Order: sequence, then C-alpha cells, then structure tokens
Amino acid sequence: MPENAKAYSIIPGRSKKKKPLDWNVLIFKIVLLAPAVLFLVVFMYYPIEETFRLSMTRSTGLGPAVFIGLQNYIRLFQNEEFLMGLKNVLQWAFWSVVIQIPLAFFIAFSLSIFKNKITKPLRVIYYLANVLPSAITAMLGRFVFAPRHGVIPSLANKFNWQWLARIDFLGNPNLAFWSIFAIATWAYCGFYIIYLMANIEQIPQDIRESAELDGATPWQYAWYIVIPMTSYALRIVSILCIVGSMKLFDLPWLMTTGGPGYATSTLGIVLYKNGFVNWQYGRAAAIGVIIFLLSLFFTILQFSLQRKDRDVL
Amino acid sequence: MRKAVSVRSKLTAFLITLFLVLLALAVILPLLLPFMFVFKTRLEYNYHPWSWPTEIRWTNFIEAWRAIQIGQGLLNTIFVCLGAIVCTVPAAAMAGYIFARYRSKVTEVIFYFILAGYFVPVQMVLIPLYQLCGLLNITDTLPGLFLPMTAFGIPFWTIIYRSFFMRLPNELAEAARIDGAGHTNIFLRIMLPLAKPATVLATLLVFMGAWSDYLLSLIMINSAQNYTMQLRIAQFMNQYGVDHMPRYAAATIIAAAPTVILYIIGHRWIIQSTLAGALKG
Repeated sequence: MPENAKAYSIIPGRSKKKKPLDWNVLIFKIVLLAPAVLFLVVFMYYPIEETFRLSMTRSTGLGPAVFIGLQNYIRLFQNEEFLMGLKNVLQWAFWSVVIQIPLAFFIAFSLSIFKNKITKPLRVIYYLANVLPSAITAMLGRFVFAPRHGVIPSLANKFNWQWLARIDFLGNPNLAFWSIFAIATWAYCGFYIIYLMANIEQIPQDIRESAELDGATPWQYAWYIVIPMTSYALRIVSILCIVGSMKLFDLPWLMTTGGPGYATSTLGIVLYKNGFVNWQYGRAAAIGVIIFLLSLFFTILQFSLQRKDRDVL
Repeated sequence: MRKAVSVRSKLTAFLITLFLVLLALAVILPLLLPFMFVFKTRLEYNYHPWSWPTEIRWTNFIEAWRAIQIGQGLLNTIFVCLGAIVCTVPAAAMAGYIFARYRSKVTEVIFYFILAGYFVPVQMVLIPLYQLCGLLNITDTLPGLFLPMTAFGIPFWTIIYRSFFMRLPNELAEAARIDGAGHTNIFLRIMLPLAKPATVLATLLVFMGAWSDYLLSLIMINSAQNYTMQLRIAQFMNQYGVDHMPRYAAATIIAAAPTVILYIIGHRWIIQSTLAGALKG
C-alpha cells in the first residue's frame, strides 16, 4: 500500500510544483471538492459548533439563549433520568459484547466449517433481520411481547401456562430492558455473522487442513487458530457494537418510549425528550456532547488497537 | 478407532446443522407468524389464536392499509432515497477523486476535515440541525430530511471512493492526457466509468440507509402528508396498538413487505456491498 501511494503522488503532485500555478487544475479541484465541503460545513460542522455553544446556555428556542457555563452538565449528572439513560446504555454495550458477539462468532464459525447444501443459504436468512428498518423491528417486537395479545402470552394460554401468560414483558421494569435486548440481538446479529464469516473465510485453507491432519477437533481449531486469527475483526465488531449502543434510540423509543419509568431510557431518548418534548435546547445539546465524547472515546480506542495490529502484521 | 471419530464428527455436523436451521427458523418466524392471525376476525382470534385460518378474509388488510396509508409514505420514502443518492454519490465521487489523484498538502488537510465527519454521531447535532432547517426554511419538507442525511453519508463514501480511485492504474489517464483530454474529460469519461463498482455499492447502501431512517424523519417531519413509511408505521403502532391483533398482523405484513421483497431480489448485492463497505472502512 505505501509503495502505491508514493507512485501515484509523484505523477500529478510533484510535476505541478515546478510549473507555475495551473489555474485550470485549481478550478477543477475547487469545483470537485465544493459540494462535499459545502455539505459538511453547513449540515455538520456548523451544527457541531452550535451544539457546543448551546450546551452552555439555557435556551428554549424562543428568545435569546442565556450563557450559563457548565451548569447543564452539572445538572445532568444530578438528574435521575439522565443517569438511568447512561447506566442503561453502558449496560447495553456490555451485554451486547458479552452475548451478541460470541453468539455471532459461534454461528459464523459453524456456518463456515459445516458447509453443506442446507447451511449455505442460511447466511442470507440470518442477515434478513438486519435489513429490516428499526420501525418494523420494533413492530415485530411488540407483536411478540405485547401483553395478552402478543405471541408469547397467547402461546402460553394455549398450553395453559398461566404464570407465563401473566408476565408483562414490556411493562415490567426488570424485563423491558431484556425484551428489547432480545429483539436487538435478533436484529443485529446478522451483520456480525456475515462480517465475521467473511473474515473466517479469509483464513487459508491449508491451515485448516494441517490442523485437521494434526487431529484437531473443530472446537480446538476455533479456539487455537480461528479466534487468534480473527481477533482484529472481533475487536472491530465489538467497538462497532459499543459505539452503536451509545447512540441507541429507535428500538427502545418505539417499543417502550423509554419506560416503564426510566427502565429502558437511553441517552438518545433523554436527549429527544429534553429537546423536542420539553424544549430544553441547552440541556439536550449537552447530552449530544456527551454522546459524542463517549463515541469518540471508543473510536480512539479502536484506532489505537488498529495501530497495534498493523505492527504485528 | 478412526471410524468412531468420523461417526462422532458426523453426529456433531448433524447436530450443528440442525441447530443452525432452527436458529434460521427463529429468525424468520416473527415474519411468518402474522400470517397465522391475519385472516381471522378479532373474535376468532380471541378464542382460537393458533388454529389454522378457516377462511381467507382480506378485511384486516384493507383496514390496516387505510390506517397506515403506506402508499403516500412509500412515495415520500422513495423521494427521500433518490434525493439522498443524487446528493451523496456524486459529491463523494468527486471529492474522493481529488483526494486520490490530485494530492497536495491542502487536499490532505481537507481530506482529514471530511474524514473527521465520519465519527460524528447524528444524535449529537439534532437540535442545531432542527434549528438550521428552520433558518433555511426546509423544516417539515423532504429535502430537510435528505440534505442532512447526505452530509452524514458523504464522509464514508468519500473514503471508499478515494481508496477505489487510488487503486486504479494510472496508465489510462496518462494516455488520455497525452491525447489531449482535459481534467474533466479524464474524470468523467475514463475514471468514473472504471469506478462503477464503488458507485453501485454507494447507491445501494445510501438507498438502504435512507429507506430505514427513523430518527431524522421523526425530528424533521411534522405533517402527515410528508410522513415517510417508517413514520407511518410508528404512528400506526402508537395509535392502534396490539389490541386488535389480526389488524396489527396485517399492518406488520404490509410494513415489512417492501423491505423483504427488496431483500429477496437483491440479497446477493446487499450482502456483498455491506461486506465490501465494512471490510474497507
């Protein structure tokens, strides 16, 4: 890769420096870069600047914003709803990495090692749930978990399991989180599966053959060879999972609107409620900054891991 | 001894296959179960939810269709998807081309400026985006939805296009330059057609992204005539709920059908491009 980059930069880059400024090239560059730069400045960088500014003001959208320094942040960390949202999001990230990724790895590994006519098309089915828009995923979630009429209660009624039929999955503060988590596992694992599978399949065939010759069982092969060789992909997937959790909004909002109480509230939901229900722009912007800082922290973590990995390879 | 091992491994293979098939069934079951309920009346459902439907009734579909009004939502969604594609793909292709083939200190700086945008979560800027759309007078319009979407899509696709253009051989462009082709011609006539795989990838995934968006639509769109499909579905859930299960089942089928059909037609492309996007990015 570095050799290529050098070869390309020599030809257009250096030859130009000797010549006087070529107006044609300059205009060409400006015209081609303008749309992308404009879009980012207007719809991303200006709003980012505004977010930071708003987060230090008391603002309702009407009338002038009053500068109050870090008050919003201090208030947030005393606010029960925000703290619950933060706790839920971190918990969500932890359990996603602990449950979804091993599950996805197990499925991806099994799919790639026990390849036959039956298992081959399954990959397509697993990924289907990932393609569904979150509104539809949430709709299916309610379809399964709704009290009395949902699939689980009505199945329980059929078998006369009254204890199960009586459980209100989305209305019980202890269960709501896990019900949504189950639906999310159903929806998101597809991507992890196909991503990990693609990485597992890049392992050279002769490594597997020599492992088989040495009498390794599939599980030994997975543990001693596949996991170390896909450790980079596993870490990338984990980071994607964690950063995704920080931004979690659609599923809990559509299934329980963050309730009951604050049991399934997330940072995204607290932001939405503060900003677009209570019209507390300043406080909502402060939550936006916190979501950003959390994502940034984990992204930097990803990059530092990536660099270590490059050294090894 | 050897035979015993192979019998055992065959058994494992069988069990694993069985397990994988059951899991796959679990994945599609929530999409199949609504068909059990959808042809029943409410009363029939309450007494025999799990019996096979005795009669094919379409009333639930008609009611659900009226309640969701998905037709208009579908049109709006397609408009948003097209808008996002038309704005994102050319802008990203053009910028990626400059970053790959006209490298200088200035373009490198601009590249990092765009790259940084890849790490900005849209949740962070919801409030100012909403205010900005008010300033630009595009609140509650479909452009007010796909323009911000575009800004958040451009960084990723610029990276993809850049790495794609960097890998193209230089000889073709050089030959064309000797023949007297200008910069614009080289880009439009030679390089862009060679980057077709990247363009297909970008078009497909930008489409999927705009198709599934919920959060931005929720914030930007207020009036029912501009509702996208996802907003219609969410509205149906909140207004009608699950009490009338057969109708809810019908709505689920109607809501999921477009995506599932799209996926059945294009699953090969969708999986391939997701992987290409993920592995490169």
